Amino acid sequence: MSVSVRFDDIYKDFGPVRVLHGVSFELPPGRIYGVLGENGAGKSTLMKILSGYEHASAGEIRLDDRLVSFKSSRQAEGEGVVLIHQEFNLAEHLSVAQNIFLGHEQRKGWLLDDRAMRQQAARYLKQVGLVINPDTPVRNLIVAEKQLVEIARALSRHARVLIMDEPTATLTPTETRRLFELMRQLKADGVTLVYISHKLDEIEAITDEIVVMRDGRFITRAPTDSLTRQQMANLMVGRELSDMFPEKTPPASAAPVALAVSGLSVPGWSADISFTVRAGEILGFAGLVGAGRTETFEGLLGLRKRSAGTVSMSGQPVTLNTPQQAVKLGVTYLSEDRKGKGLHVSMGLAQNLTMLMLEHYAHPLLDLQAERAAMAHAKDEFGIRTGNLAARARSLSGGNQQKLALAKFLHPDPRVIILDEPTRGVDVGAKRDIYFQIHALAQQGRAVIVISSELIELIGLCHRVAVMRAGQLQTTLGMDQLTEEELIAHATGTH
Amino acid sequence: MQPALTDTPRRSARWLARIQAVGPLIGLIILCLAGTALNRDFATVDNMMNVLTRTAFIGIIAVGMTFVIISGGIDLSVGSMAALIAGSMIVLMNKLAGSGMAPMLIVLLGMVLALILGALFGLMHGLLITKGRIEPFIVTLGTLGIFRAVLTWLADGGALTLDDSLNNLYGPVYYASLLGVPVPIWVFLIMAAGGALILNRTAFGRHVQAIGSNEQVARYAAIRVDVVKIVTYIFLGLCVGVATVLYVPRLGSATPTTGLLWELEAIAAVVVGGTALKGGEGRVIGTVIGAILLSVINNILNLTSIISVYLNAAVQGAVIIVVAFLQRGRRND
Amino acid sequence: MKRFTLGLSAGVLALAALMTSPARAADPVTLGVSIPTADHGFTGGIVWWANEAKKDLEKAHPGLKIIVKTAANAPEQANQLQDLVTVNKINALVIFPYESASLTQPVAQVKKKGVYVTVVDRGLTDTSAQDAYVAGDNTAFGKLPAEYIAKKLNGKGNIVALRGIPTTLDNERFDAFSGVLKAHPDIKILDAKYANWNRDDAFKVTQDYLTRFKNIDAIWAADDDMAVGVLKAIDQAKRTDIKIVFGGAGSKGMVKTILDDSNKLIQADVSYSPKFIYDAVKLTAEARLKGEALPATTIIPSVLITKENAKQFYFPNSPF
Repeated sequence: MSVSVRFDDIYKDFGPVRVLHGVSFELPPGRIYGVLGENGAGKSTLMKILSGYEHASAGEIRLDDRLVSFKSSRQAEGEGVVLIHQEFNLAEHLSVAQNIFLGHEQRKGWLLDDRAMRQQAARYLKQVGLVINPDTPVRNLIVAEKQLVEIARALSRHARVLIMDEPTATLTPTETRRLFELMRQLKADGVTLVYISHKLDEIEAITDEIVVMRDGRFITRAPTDSLTRQQMANLMVGRELSDMFPEKTPPASAAPVALAVSGLSVPGWSADISFTVRAGEILGFAGLVGAGRTETFEGLLGLRKRSAGTVSMSGQPVTLNTPQQAVKLGVTYLSEDRKGKGLHVSMGLAQNLTMLMLEHYAHPLLDLQAERAAMAHAKDEFGIRTGNLAARARSLSGGNQQKLALAKFLHPDPRVIILDEPTRGVDVGAKRDIYFQIHALAQQGRAVIVISSELIELIGLCHRVAVMRAGQLQTTLGMDQLTEEELIAHATGTH
Repeated sequence: MQPALTDTPRRSARWLARIQAVGPLIGLIILCLAGTALNRDFATVDNMMNVLTRTAFIGIIAVGMTFVIISGGIDLSVGSMAALIAGSMIVLMNKLAGSGMAPMLIVLLGMVLALILGALFGLMHGLLITKGRIEPFIVTLGTLGIFRAVLTWLADGGALTLDDSLNNLYGPVYYASLLGVPVPIWVFLIMAAGGALILNRTAFGRHVQAIGSNEQVARYAAIRVDVVKIVTYIFLGLCVGVATVLYVPRLGSATPTTGLLWELEAIAAVVVGGTALKGGEGRVIGTVIGAILLSVINNILNLTSIISVYLNAAVQGAVIIVVAFLQRGRRND
Repeated sequence: MKRFTLGLSAGVLALAALMTSPARAADPVTLGVSIPTADHGFTGGIVWWANEAKKDLEKAHPGLKIIVKTAANAPEQANQLQDLVTVNKINALVIFPYESASLTQPVAQVKKKGVYVTVVDRGLTDTSAQDAYVAGDNTAFGKLPAEYIAKKLNGKGNIVALRGIPTTLDNERFDAFSGVLKAHPDIKILDAKYANWNRDDAFKVTQDYLTRFKNIDAIWAADDDMAVGVLKAIDQAKRTDIKIVFGGAGSKGMVKTILDDSNKLIQADVSYSPKFIYDAVKLTAEARLKGEALPATTIIPSVLITKENAKQFYFPNSPF
C-alpha cells in the first residue's frame, strides 16, 4: 500500500506572479520527508497542488508512476493523499466527531450513523492523544486541540500520503512528542509522510530525508542525518545565517517601570497575576498551551472580562478597561491568532497598517497619500516582501503577514508592546528579522512583553521570563536562570 | 521546456476584474440602449429626470443601507420607517397648521421631525443590536411590523393627508428644479457623494469596512465596534428621514401602503451594486447605479407593451440576477 | 341574482320586506365579525365601518353582542374563526374572507356548528358553506366608468387604465370596463398596467404613460387611492390633454372633490363603499334577532357618483 510521489516540472502562476518554476523531485514510498524552505519558497503551494487544493499551471504529478491530476481535495483524499493544513479547516459550529467525518459521513441507509462516527472519532482522538468528548463543538477548543482534531481527521481518511504543514506550530512539547510517535507508527504501516516545518530540531528528530526549496525551485535533497541544523538553515536561506538572536543588552538598572500590573484576575483563566516590566526590557511569558497567558493579556487590554487587578504606568495608576484606552495609554497587543484577530486579510496593506490610529490620518478626510507613504516606509522598516503595495493582506506569505501585523501594532508608537507568539508559522529568515526588530524596540526604550511557546526564543530574546501554569504566575526567572530545563520544570509543575 | 508566463491569463484576469467592478454600470448601459431601441421617448431628458427623481427615495435609503450592510448588518424596516415618519410629519404639520404658526416654519419643523425620528429609530435599532445582542434581521423584522402598524393606527387604516395650504408650500421640495434638475436628484447626488466620501475617506468609513470584514480583528485593533455599528444604523435612519422629507410633498399623504417593500428594493440596489451581503466591502457608487438600474427596468416595462404585464416581475428578477452575475466576486476570495 | 338599483337604505328596506323565514324565539345574538386588518384605504374603511356597526347596533339592541376581529392573513383568519366559535360562542358570523378558496373549509366548519354565516365581498368557492352572501358590485365598478367616459368623450378618444393587483376581483372590473368599450370602436385603451392599488406606484406608472403617449383623453385609475397618484403625475407633467380621471370606490377625499367641484378632471366616481360591511352586519344582526334568514345573495349596488348625488356618499368621519 506504500505509494511513491513524483513531481515533474511543476509550474504554478498566481495571476502575473510565478511561484513555482519547474519543480521536479521524487519521494520514494514509506519514508518521512522534511520539506524545508523559507516562507514563500513554494512548499505549501506545491503540497496544495499534490493534494488537490490548487491546480498546477504546467507539469505532471505521478503516484506510483501513474499520472494523476486531482480536481479537488476530495478526489485526492479518495486516492489517499491527505493534507493537514497550516490554517485550520474546521467548521467551528460542528462537533469534533462531525468535523472528523465532514464530507465523508457514514450512513446507515438514508440516515447518518452518528453512533458509529462518534465511536470511531473517539478512537482517532485517542490515537492522537487528545482527551476530549467527540461531541464537543470545535469552537470550544483551543488552538492546539484544533490542530490535533485536524490530524485525527486525516487519520480517518486512511491516508497513504500524509502531508503535514506546520502541524506543531501550536503544540506543546508533550503533544509534539506524541505526534512524532504517531508518525513513526504510520511510517511503519507504509504511509509516505511529508513534513513541513520551520522547527529544524523537529525536522532533525523525525524526518529521514530533507528536500530544500527556495524561491519556487527545488534546491537539493539529502539524508537528514548528513546535515547539521546550521547547514539546513543555510541551505534554506541560501546564505550563511549568523546568529539568530541579537546580543542582549540589559536595560539600565535605573530604567523606570513602564508597566506594573497587580492582582490581575481573568475569570476561568488566571488569578492574581502581578508583574512589572521596565522601559527597555524584554519580558517573556512562558507556559503550556492553556496556562492562561493569552487570556491574561486579553483581560489586561479589556478584550476579555476581568474581575480584579490594578494597572499603573510609569508609576501613575491608570484606568485600562478598553482596547481604546490601551492605545491611548500606549499599550498595544499583537494576538497569536493572526487571521482571526490580528489582520484584516481581505483589506489592503496600508488599511491594515493604519487601523489603530486612523484619527492621525483623518483631518477629517483620510490622507490616503500619507497612508501609502507610511506603508512604503513600514515595508522597508519591517522588511515586508511584496511586489504590490496595493495588494490585500491575504496575498502576503505567512511571515510577511506577521511582519505587517507587527508593523500595525507598532504604528501607534506604543510605550508597551505585547507580542503573543510573534514568530508562529514564520520561517527562519523572517524569524531572525523579527527577533532583531524586537531587540530594537527595547533599545528604543519600549517595554516589550513576549508570549511564546518556543523556549529557545524566550531564552535567546528575553531579559526575564515569567512562567505561568494553570492560571497562576509560578515564578519569574532572571537572565542567568534561563534554561530550557528550568522553564519546562516551572511550566509543568515538576520543579 | 519552461512554459512562457504568457500575458493571456493576466490580461483576461484583469479584464474580468474590471468587468466585476463596472458590471452594474455595463448592465445599466445595456438596459438604457434597449430602452431607447424599444421606445424613443426613453432617452428624453424628461424621462431621465422622471426616473432619477423617483429613484431618489430608494437611492438615498440605499446609500445608508450600504453602510449597514458593509458593517455586516441589515435593516428590513426602512420602508415601514419611512411610512411612519411620513405619517408623523403629516400629523404634526396638520396639528400646527391650526395654531397660527407661520406655514414655512411648520414645514421646516416637519422636516426636522423627520430627521429626528429617523435618527432615533436608527439609534433604537443600533442599541437593540449591539447592547441587546439581538440579530439585526430579527430586530428590524420586528420594527418593520411595529412601524407600519403604528402608522396604520395613526391613519385609522386610511390615508393621512397634508393640509392643502401646507402642501402647496411644501410641494416644490419634490417638484421644483434647480438648474433644470429636480430637487430630489440634487439631494440624492449630495447624499451619494457624501456617503462615498464618508465610506472611503473617513476613519468612520474605514472602521465600518473593518468591522464587516472581521469584527474580531476590528475589536483587537481598538475599534469601538458597538459605537460604529450604532452610528451606521443612525446614519441609515437619517437617510430614511431625508428620503421621507422628499417623499411627503410628492403625494402630500401617507397611507399604510407607503414605502411598501422599499426595504427589498434598497437591499437589492446595494447588492446589485456590488456590495457583499455578508459585509466587509462595497461601493456607494455601485449602490447608486444599482438603484437607478432597478428604476430603469420598471420604466422600460411601463414604456412598452411587448411583455405581458403578468410577467413584469419576472423580467425584473431576471435582470437583477444577470447583473449580479456580471459583478459577482470570486467565490474563494 | 337580485339587483337593487335604489340607494342603499332603500335596499335595506326592501330586504326587510323579503324576510320570510318563521320567527324563532328572540334569542340573544352573539355576532362575530371577521375582517382583514386595515392595510390600505379600503380595508381601513372596512374596519372603521365594522366598528361603527358594533357601536350603533349594540346600542339599539340590548340582546346583541358584536365581536370584531381583524386578521392579517388567511391562516390567521381561519384561527380566529375557531376562537370565535369556541371561546366567544358566537351564533352568527359576518366574514370578509381574505381569500375565497383557503377560507371555504374553515367557514364550513363554523356553519356546521350551527352558526349563521354571512359572507361579504369575496364569495366562497363552495356556496353551501354560507347562509347568505352580501357583496359590492364589481361589474358595475368597471362598467359605470366605461359608460361615463365613453359618453363624455363622445365615443372617441384615447384611454389608459391602471389595474390593481392581479386577482379575480381586478379581472372582473377590468373585463367589465373593456367590455363596454368594445361597443365604441373609436375609443382605444392604449395600455393597462398594474399599480397595486398604491398611490406611489400609480404615480410612477402614470409618469411613464405620460412620457409614452402624447395624447391621452382619459385615465381610468380604477381606485381612488391610485387616482391621487395619477393626478399628481398629471400636475407635474403640466399636461392639458387629459380631460377625465376616474377613480373608484367613492372615498371621502374623492367624493369631497366632486362635491366641491375642486378638480375639473374629477367629475364622477363609482361607489364601492366599505360601508357594505356595516350593512351586512346590520342585516344579519337584525334578521337573527328576529330569528329570520337573509336572502342567499344581496348585491349592494355600485352607483355612479356625480355632483348631484355626492352628498349621500360623503361620510366625513370614515377614514376612507
